[in-house]
Amino acid sequence: MPKQTGGQRLRLPLEWLGILPFVVFAVLFLILPTMKIVVGAFQTPDGGFTLQNLLDLNTPSIRSAYWTSIKLSFVTALLGCAIGFAMAAAVVFGGMPKGVRNPLVTFSGVASNFAGVPLAFAFIATLGPVGLVTVWLRTEFGINLRAMGFNLLSFWGLVITYLFFQIPLMILIIIPALDGLKREWREAAAVLGATGAQYWRMVALPILFPSLLGTFALLFANAFGAVATAFALTGPQLNIVPIKLFAQIRGDVLGNPNLGYALAFGMIVITALANFLYIWLRVRSERWLK
Amino acid sequence: MSFLTLTHLEKSFGANRVVKDFNLSVEKGEFISLLGPSGCGKTTVLRMVAGFETPTAGGITIDGRDVTSLKANSRNIGMMFQAYALFPNMTVADNVAFGLRVKGVPRAERDARVAEMLALIGLSEMGGRFPFQLSGGQQQRVALARALAPRPSVLLLDEPLSALDAKVRVSLRNQIRQIQQDLGITTIFVTHDQEEAMSISDRIVVMNGGVADQVGAPFEIYNRPRTKFVANFVGTLNTFEVRVTDPATGRVALAGQDLTLPDAPLSARTGETLTVALRPEALRLGRLADAEALLPAKVTDVHFMGSVIRLRADVAGTDVSLDTFNRPDTPPPTVGSMIEVSLSGRDFIQLRA
Amino acid sequence: MTRFFAWGTFLLGCLFFALPLIGMTEFSLKMRRGEYSFDAYRRVFEDQRFWDTFSYSLILAAATIVVGVLLVVPTAYWVRLKLPQARPVIEFITLLPLVIPAIVIVFGYIRLYNTSSFLPLTGSALGTDILLTMGYTTLALPYMYRSVDTGLRTIDVATLTEAAQSLGAGWITILSRIILPNVMVAVLSGAFLTLAIVLGEFTMAALLNRPAFGPFMQLLGANRAYEPPALAVIAFAITWGCMGLMQLVTRFSKHERAKA
Repeated sequence: MPKQTGGQRLRLPLEWLGILPFVVFAVLFLILPTMKIVVGAFQTPDGGFTLQNLLDLNTPSIRSAYWTSIKLSFVTALLGCAIGFAMAAAVVFGGMPKGVRNPLVTFSGVASNFAGVPLAFAFIATLGPVGLVTVWLRTEFGINLRAMGFNLLSFWGLVITYLFFQIPLMILIIIPALDGLKREWREAAAVLGATGAQYWRMVALPILFPSLLGTFALLFANAFGAVATAFALTGPQLNIVPIKLFAQIRGDVLGNPNLGYALAFGMIVITALANFLYIWLRVRSERWLK
Repeated sequence: MSFLTLTHLEKSFGANRVVKDFNLSVEKGEFISLLGPSGCGKTTVLRMVAGFETPTAGGITIDGRDVTSLKANSRNIGMMFQAYALFPNMTVADNVAFGLRVKGVPRAERDARVAEMLALIGLSEMGGRFPFQLSGGQQQRVALARALAPRPSVLLLDEPLSALDAKVRVSLRNQIRQIQQDLGITTIFVTHDQEEAMSISDRIVVMNGGVADQVGAPFEIYNRPRTKFVANFVGTLNTFEVRVTDPATGRVALAGQDLTLPDAPLSARTGETLTVALRPEALRLGRLADAEALLPAKVTDVHFMGSVIRLRADVAGTDVSLDTFNRPDTPPPTVGSMIEVSLSGRDFIQLRA
Repeated sequence: MTRFFAWGTFLLGCLFFALPLIGMTEFSLKMRRGEYSFDAYRRVFEDQRFWDTFSYSLILAAATIVVGVLLVVPTAYWVRLKLPQARPVIEFITLLPLVIPAIVIVFGYIRLYNTSSFLPLTGSALGTDILLTMGYTTLALPYMYRSVDTGLRTIDVATLTEAAQSLGAGWITILSRIILPNVMVAVLSGAFLTLAIVLGEFTMAALLNRPAFGPFMQLLGANRAYEPPALAVIAFAITWGCMGLMQLVTRFSKHERAKA
């Protein structure tokens, strides 16, 4: 383009003006609120710098809340990945009729968004004390879930409920990745003498590793920040971080506003760590992709 | 018994019979091409040999062993694919070593073999690179090394050159043929490119509609095609209508000239017309002493292609194509000019439908 | 063998997903003792708060979609056309809401925009509604941006823009008459997803104390037995409807393109 250098110099900032509305929005409603939390976590009530808020997190109750939250997110992410992967693989490679695939994808789209309050209701109606499955098992087979120690309002009850949106999310993300595995790779491995297991271990899984890892991090964050499902299922008494934070925002149950910042800051740190771990591992495992 | 035999091989996908009664015997060290248009079943035959498809009927033996129901991973076959199919997560060296690794070959032996293979394809320096860092031609050479590393008994090539550009294609095809001959490995090569097939094969199988139309050496396929399909698929043809004058000796008349066809006696009777064909290079420009007949022709088109000049001309009412070599001292004839064309009955090809 | 395992896995999965859906449906019909009835649904529909909160959430969803489109379409277009170097930054920002939990974001809002701050949005009902809309826009940002950006990838933005400019069109005209219609499918699928997210959202609305559908469902769940599963069935139907519309739009556009 035959443009003069003077005009060139003027054009650069003008072009950046085009994304100004977006930048303003992101700063006001995403970055500043987050910064407010981060800064608040290091402040005393009158604005001085302190590490005391973070140190105050170290109480048995808060420690156990974090630990339960991390366990819950880790277990649901892991099971969600594993089961979602198995179902996606069954549909893509299992020689199943083509008509199965599209309904599964549509349903996964629905189910991954069917979280929160109504999902809790659905599980209460199914696995709650008078739920469909609970009653059916008791009357037809004499199996008493409650007596066996199962309680929907417990850790494993929450795991089962979370899986209802975690598995579909995995399916949605991993099906395109499985489609990306070329038939020739499988065939090349086979003629070179590899068994199916060897092909998966040495070729397919390493290729899928970044997507698996990314989905795992996403599922982890998804479960870690979920409030509505747990809240509707168990009310405010379940000791996980998002519920604790919810109660703190509503009524300062910790008795220290800045401890609330620290609690929220801890959540950001953990989800950010999960994602940085993902990015780091991805860079390492994807040397073969520019 | 031949090294590789395919007997009465059949393959149907649903109601669609893709391969019909396919028979082929390949000798050890032979280079065979399966040539045909897309959808002729050539790839399906190759995939049955590899073990990716199970034949609906018929059998396959390799080195005297029936492999028909053997899985792909226990056939000891090497294969190159059209889309390279290198494992993107492994370096070049790891790709080449893959077949040895899954067989449990010890590390030292494996490394030695990989080095040997990389030297063979001239990419010794590239062992540490990833496939995406290589050109298409280099990737396909790595694929060749990977296929050969476990010392397969048969090498299968599934259109390995068609994704490459023209120059690389020719040099890689020569390299493949060179390596194949050095190692003496039995090879089946699938292609739709007749020039490619003719230039590197010991024998060619021309396939059409799931059937082997003709099997023979390139020279034979080109000069003595048995069916119209083979003749048309392999090179260009001019067809003429001739009138039979003496079926016993093969004498016919074309535009008042007497010609003697090969393969006498003819199937047609005296006075009947017969359709015969002639390759463009069998029609020769000018008056030649050894030619049987001389016909006048009017030039309708001139294509200067470098070493060869292809003319289109009207010969006795038939539009024909003829090739002549370029000669620096003689400019090609111009469009509309009259020329003389020499031809001989012995060059004519009689075609079955 | 593979096929056997494939079917086994698939059917077990289907069972897991079917049971809660069957469970909630069955439970919602059991309000009348001894027989199935739609009593629970009638109760829900007779509740004025259901209609109030539902229409409130619907309006907020519409506002969120408008804000989202106005924000995302010009930005994604501009980045593709003039600022490819800003792409990684923009993409990173749009993915942040997947990493930072919604509860943390809304916590920030409450503390940042309180009555004594530079922008006292939480001081009035309208201000809080605006804040909630912005919060929902943030939640929908990852989906909206990706959807529109993918839509823009399939059209030649630069050529279309130059062609329009050579015919004398201004930026507003180009965006509204050329770019938007071309990414309409992407915008619509983003919009339906946003609708599904906003209608069921609980955390932000509850913490900002707005009468939205999500907190209403939670409230009902804490106090009633048969209405909650009826609400769950309704919510599931709405989600399914949104996703169905999303698919329909995509399929319809493919059909249109095939005809062209």
